[in-house]
Amino acid sequence: MTDEPTPALALECVDLHVRYGTFMAVDGVSLVARPGEILGLLGPNGAGKTSVVRAITTIVPVTSGTILVNGHDLTDPVAIRTSIGVLPESNGYPGIQTAKAHLTFYAELFGLDPREARRQAEHRLRQLGLDDKSQPIGTFSRGMRQRLGLARALINRPAVLLLDEPTLGLDPAGREDLLRQLASSAVEEGTCVILCSHQLDEVERVCDRVAVMDHGRIVADGTVDHVVAGSGVTQRARIRVALGDVLAADEVLRALPAVSAVEYDNARPGDIDVELAPVDGARSQLLKVLLDARIEPRAFDFQRAALSDAFLALTSRGRETE
Amino acid sequence: MTTTERAARQHQERARSGWRVVLRKETADLWLSAKGLSVLLAFSIALSVLAYLASGDAAINLLDARESVGVVVKTAIGLGTLTAVVVSADAISGERERGTLEALLVTPVARRDIVTGKLLAASTMWLAALVVALPFVVVMADGPRVGLDAVLVLVISGGLVAAALTALGLAISSFVMSNRASLAASISILLMLAAPSQLPAITKSATLGPVLIKANPVSAGLTLADNVLVKQQEWTEQWIYLLSPILATIALTAAAILLARRLQLGDAR
Repeated sequence: MTDEPTPALALECVDLHVRYGTFMAVDGVSLVARPGEILGLLGPNGAGKTSVVRAITTIVPVTSGTILVNGHDLTDPVAIRTSIGVLPESNGYPGIQTAKAHLTFYAELFGLDPREARRQAEHRLRQLGLDDKSQPIGTFSRGMRQRLGLARALINRPAVLLLDEPTLGLDPAGREDLLRQLASSAVEEGTCVILCSHQLDEVERVCDRVAVMDHGRIVADGTVDHVVAGSGVTQRARIRVALGDVLAADEVLRALPAVSAVEYDNARPGDIDVELAPVDGARSQLLKVLLDARIEPRAFDFQRAALSDAFLALTSRGRETE
Repeated sequence: MTTTERAARQHQERARSGWRVVLRKETADLWLSAKGLSVLLAFSIALSVLAYLASGDAAINLLDARESVGVVVKTAIGLGTLTAVVVSADAISGERERGTLEALLVTPVARRDIVTGKLLAASTMWLAALVVALPFVVVMADGPRVGLDAVLVLVISGGLVAAALTALGLAISSFVMSNRASLAASISILLMLAAPSQLPAITKSATLGPVLIKANPVSAGLTLADNVLVKQQEWTEQWIYLLSPILATIALTAAAILLARRLQLGDAR
């Protein structure tokens, strides 16, 4: 339980290494996350995300490095496991149990007395919209099971919530619902959420920061904008100007340091394609230089570099440098 | 220590005694689901058929009363142990295959407590088999002396054999990744250990045979049943046959609990 004074960092991993036999699954990972923060842990399959999560949860041994969870280090694994909630990727449920019995059992494993465990189970079931307690879990849909998994992970009011592919297999409505619950848990309960996901659009939407892993290492860490900017992927804009303004527009656009290329679409005279480095405020810079030069854009379509582009660039770069 | 730190410690202390919570849940799962009851029903039917053949029909009964009780007691020990082994061999590997083990391991409950709770829950299978078997042997016993001997053999010798093999099944389940492999290995070992007591040639072998019988906890337990109930030997002469079941129970229970520290999820590289 997290009644203790809240440390400045909910989670801190320093130079974490996890080795399975001769294979180094996690190779010097350092991470920090604050209370109330949602950190997206991204990476292709086999990048080491699940191993990092399992090292934090103390269920795989750490080869070297340190982990601090809510102020507790690996010398006190019971205190760490008391401070965390986990929704593992390989998440099974006893089909014959009811949701309430399942959650009550887990609440008791976290040290709650039976009455308090039942109360906490009912609270979490209500919170996640699983009020029908009499149904066995075997009759639950995939979405209901994932919500039950989240309820189970929250049953001890964890300081750090670790979720491995929580929206896998959910329909769009189910995904939205789960993400809304996550965000509300982070905001209302100050829970630090570590979200491992391949759904980059949802990571981009809910995460305060992201850390991208490849081959057991962190290859980028920061806000989504920072990671996208650092990835080197370009942003694109298509601007339509009057035919008489094309040359002037070309001149002012090329003068911008962020602009790396200016091209024309011969099929559409007056359309200019601009390629930009992923700098903050690129869109307003483009508009400003055009308006300063008294060129009025007739159409302006700006495509910001997405996290998915950055993800591909960062992780493929990792493979090339191997 | 502040009040909040003390409260957190209390939660951790309670979590440390989580074996009781695991035991309660596992026992409920076993007996409120079809699994425990169907295994017990199969055990009851097998024992009923055997008891009928051994004593019910004078035309087909080729055994005297003591032999009949001996056969039923030995069968109850063997099948009762098998039912407990089936449950314990599924205890960890089953969780692993169903994807429920990781959620259990990330709770503050120590692995040895998880294993202890599961071991005790699996042992209730033997206790239930014992409850079913006792009326059979009491009714079939010819007189109170035989009845008492039969009950003591079943409780003491059967209890030790079942405890040892239940612990063995759980130990195997902890480190064998496949549930099917865990069940196959545990049942095979039980059958191999039971086989020598069913082979008269081994007991007649000059020196090695009797030693092997006594060293093997299952054959020792079954031989003790035979000696006390059929050959009418005194209990005081049979203590040697309890040594290996006692030692096996202690060693295998310790092994199951110690192996819990090395309990793995199974899908890590």
